[in-house]
Amino acid sequence: MKRLRNNIRLLALGLACLFVGLVAYFSYSVYFYGGRWFASATNPRLADQKQHVIMGDLVDRTGLVLATTDADGQRSYPQYSDLRRAVSHVVGDSGGVVANGAETFMASYLLGFESGAFERLRLLFTGEQARGDTVRLTIDAKLCEYASSLLSRHEGGAIVVMNYRTGELLCSTSYPDFDPRSLSSVLQNSEDNGALINRVTQGFYPPGSTFKILTLASALENISGVMSRTYNCTGALTVDRTTVTEASSQVHGVLSVQEAFAESCNTAFASLALELGYGRLAQTASSFGFGDNFLFRDLIVYNSQYPTDNQSLDDLAWSGVGQGRVLATPLHMAMVAAAVANDGVMMEPRLMLSATTAQGQSRTLQPTRTYRRACSAEIASALRGAMVACVQSGTGRQAQISGYTVGGKTGSAESSDDKEIKTHAWFVGFVESDEHPLAIAVVIEHGGSGGSIATPIAQRVLSRAIEQGY
Amino acid sequence: MSRKRPTREARKQKKDRRALRTRKPARRRGRDAASLTLSAVMFFCASACLLLALKSLLNEGRVDWGALALMVALPLVCWLCVRVVARPLRADPMLVLLMTFLVSLGIVLLYGLDPERGLRQSVIYLLGIAMFAGCALSIRLIHDWHALSWLMIPAGLVLLLLPVAIGEEQGGAKNWISMPVIGSFQPSELVKLALLLTLAEFFSSPRGFRGMLPGLAFSAACLGVLMLQKDLGTALMYYLVTLLLFWAASSNLPLTLLGALGGVGAAVVGYRMFAHVRTRVAIWLNPWSDALGKGYQLVQALMAISSGGLFGLGLGMGQSRVIPAYSTDFIFAVLCEQFGILFGLCVVALYVILVMRGISIALRARTPFQALLALGVSLMIGLQTFVIIGGVVKLIPLTGITMPFVSYGGTSLVSCMGMVGLLCGVSAQNEKDRAEDERLTQGAEEGEA
Repeated sequence: MKRLRNNIRLLALGLACLFVGLVAYFSYSVYFYGGRWFASATNPRLADQKQHVIMGDLVDRTGLVLATTDADGQRSYPQYSDLRRAVSHVVGDSGGVVANGAETFMASYLLGFESGAFERLRLLFTGEQARGDTVRLTIDAKLCEYASSLLSRHEGGAIVVMNYRTGELLCSTSYPDFDPRSLSSVLQNSEDNGALINRVTQGFYPPGSTFKILTLASALENISGVMSRTYNCTGALTVDRTTVTEASSQVHGVLSVQEAFAESCNTAFASLALELGYGRLAQTASSFGFGDNFLFRDLIVYNSQYPTDNQSLDDLAWSGVGQGRVLATPLHMAMVAAAVANDGVMMEPRLMLSATTAQGQSRTLQPTRTYRRACSAEIASALRGAMVACVQSGTGRQAQISGYTVGGKTGSAESSDDKEIKTHAWFVGFVESDEHPLAIAVVIEHGGSGGSIATPIAQRVLSRAIEQGY
Repeated sequence: MSRKRPTREARKQKKDRRALRTRKPARRRGRDAASLTLSAVMFFCASACLLLALKSLLNEGRVDWGALALMVALPLVCWLCVRVVARPLRADPMLVLLMTFLVSLGIVLLYGLDPERGLRQSVIYLLGIAMFAGCALSIRLIHDWHALSWLMIPAGLVLLLLPVAIGEEQGGAKNWISMPVIGSFQPSELVKLALLLTLAEFFSSPRGFRGMLPGLAFSAACLGVLMLQKDLGTALMYYLVTLLLFWAASSNLPLTLLGALGGVGAAVVGYRMFAHVRTRVAIWLNPWSDALGKGYQLVQALMAISSGGLFGLGLGMGQSRVIPAYSTDFIFAVLCEQFGILFGLCVVALYVILVMRGISIALRARTPFQALLALGVSLMIGLQTFVIIGGVVKLIPLTGITMPFVSYGGTSLVSCMGMVGLLCGVSAQNEKDRAEDERLTQGAEEGEA
């Protein structure tokens, strides 16, 4: 009987643990995923709420209206077609056809689900129709329009600019774009299919040489005195079964690690990757957010990948230069550059600046917060030096802005083994300035060389952003 | 310097005085708390029904006689259950109150979703009270459970086999039968009671493992039949309770582990054999990959939970009816949408209190039979709650079982109330034994004096 009682006590403990686990998991998942569950386009409550509530306005950070509800209850978008198209992915559409646009993802504000019992009571007594909150986004629509005009000369691509101190997105545009006024024709036209994808958050690209930032960060952390080394680049490095080659068959000769970074020497970084090994490189990649399940409050960003399941040396060498199976979204690469500029601290990207009720009261939003520490301040400062050198004397020369220190890294990422297909042109970088803390990522699909295609675009977008005072 | 030590006599007198001072008021305090809680439950029922009536009056301009009738009847039935039925049986007031609250909560929720189901459930509530009383009384009156167990085994198996012969299929499982008078019912729910009683009887056998064999065989046969009906959720409950009871009774770790291994093996075979098990697991891993198809249920449930926010949308509000099986498997999602996530957590806490109360009754039981019975009931209710809520919030793959007391389903409600009746029977026995002991020791002390 005594033994039985002891067993009963143990079972009670087990049951209690089960329930503690249940409560913990439930609270965790509701806290982190609740907003996402709710803002799903298939939630019938959103459609139903639209019958009763006038959907609030969506405005950019300067107050320019990006979406509003007109007198007939229809959703209308800005008059200028270029502007409308430039922000089409960020704004999305109220029907939820575009995945995770602000129109659906912020529906709990726009449709007034955040209003408390007091507000509901007031509406009940005054009898006026409920109106959702006005949501102010962090982006500047004019800047988006300008960036989009630079993109539209190419096949496709994405530009994202963020403030690396606060994480606010200032510009986010993706091309090809679409016109929210004629969404149905976009859907019918199968050639336009890629137009609905927001390449900033959902576009997976091989990061190419921009990944060398992470390889260098890992080398700085794990190999002491790496900056004083020299490499002799013969134009090719035979690994196991493949040969790592330089872009456009260059031979760099003898160069220091800093020069190898500035000139984007593949063989030097492939051999660094081989020296580091999968474990260390993967650890650095994950500390910069590769493989993370991004749970940002304002944005849904697809998870970048640094696969380590296949432990071949060929893959390892190629991963050191951002090829192989490494994939990243433009926003994530902008966050990497932002973390370097912000002393190794990666901020959570924000898209929502404020929400104001129909009565003009602003709601309290959760404040800016650090997403994670990507690397130590010393490593960040060394990386900054390398990136600034890359812009001053390396492949990123065309990113220079007079009067400002710009740092960056170019990339020409191969998307296929076929040499006839042009590479994706990349530039990620930052402006080293306390007044203008800007980080940028530019991708031009099949644009060719990062240094000659993506870099000038980045320079122009950054100059425009500085002009506008960001 | 030296203080005079009080004599033994004086110490005993002091103790008696203290006992006189404190014990009675403590008991009265408990009774006060119980009656206060009962009033709160009655108030909850009445105001909830009033809200429902007001809602249909405001929205549709019609007087909802059902809700008004329920407003009077439901508190009355709760009062009846606690005061007229449970008190003379000396049932544990906390258990009874928790049970009445959960059942009333279910009825109110169901009425808001579908008035017909709510009314049907409240009629079954009466039946459940009868079952509760019957079970509680049976513990007091029946002393020879051994013979009865041998009767229950064939009866249970026949009941379980009925749906295979004349049953209907619902939701991938064939576990219902229709009767001309009572309507449709689910024998596997009633057999739960028989299983718990027989297991407690055979597992408390003094003959060791050989004595336990009939119980194990009965359980295995039940599992076989349930598998045949593809009622895997109920089979899981039977299996877990049998395994844990066996371990508690025998402390035989190797055999228990063997049983657990067998269960894992069966799960793997089930995963390979049944397509709907594979689908369930795939949905659990990522319901959003097919949000409008196979994952629809779970996705809708998660949306409902998040729509309610911390404090809920209000009774009868929201759109819980878009969730398939909203009144049975997914009632917890409905509860969270209407009453809020905080309330949902509170309800989980109520279940935990109920289960822990059951465990403490098991610990105080005098005979192994009663201890095992109380433990079995606690495990059954606790595990069933965990498995269904865990499934709804995507902690574990969803298994189609009911949430005890709250879900729509007559047989389930009756059997759950029966289980609480068994617990209360044991607790009344404990109290009686304790009182007797006290009287005896007092008598002995007086004799000594």
